[in-house]
Amino acid sequence: MNNRIKELRARDNITQLDLAKLVDVRRETIVFLEKGKYNPSLKLAYDIAQVFKHSIEEVFVFDK
Amino acid sequence: MKNQNRKTLLYTSVLIMGLIWGFIAIEKGTDLLNGIDIYIFALIVILGGIALYNAFKKDKEEKQGLKTEDEMSNLIKYKSGYHAFLVSMYMWLFIFIFKDKFPDTETMLGGGILLSGLIFYITKQVVKRKLYE
Repeated sequence: MNNRIKELRARDNITQLDLAKLVDVRRETIVFLEKGKYNPSLKLAYDIAQVFKHSIEEVFVFDK
Repeated sequence: MKNQNRKTLLYTSVLIMGLIWGFIAIEKGTDLLNGIDIYIFALIVILGGIALYNAFKKDKEEKQGLKTEDEMSNLIKYKSGYHAFLVSMYMWLFIFIFKDKFPDTETMLGGGILLSGLIFYITKQVVKRKLYE
């Protein structure tokens, strides 16, 4: 699963630390997410999408 | 935690380790640096260092207003716990095979428990690197 977190973060000028605080996770989790090393739970994916005011599908891209 | 407090904690930890070292040295005399005891002491120092490092890391995260545990850290913990358990089973098998190498039962069990802690830390690092492999 790929995602656009890094790109959206840069667009909105949000640091990894800020995003981690906004979605209530550790900064390390954001680092892992951006690298594609961790697939988030539905709740976390929803929370992240909400921060960027997008739908989950627009932030996370599922590879078939 | 302020730098001053961290330094105090670090110095206290080093002092406690030094006192333990001194106590063991008095108890065991010149045998301390011989045989398996030096490995046991090295394990204590390594695990103490890891515990301190983790404590500082968590403290820093708390100060930044972040959670110290979340869904990913729990997943890593569960996965590494499972792998550490399997590896520890083999470790205990080898310890019992080579039980003649240990001076007494207490050293054997203590060493095994300390080694289990180290195995958990190592598997945690491996699981972190290969979360979905």
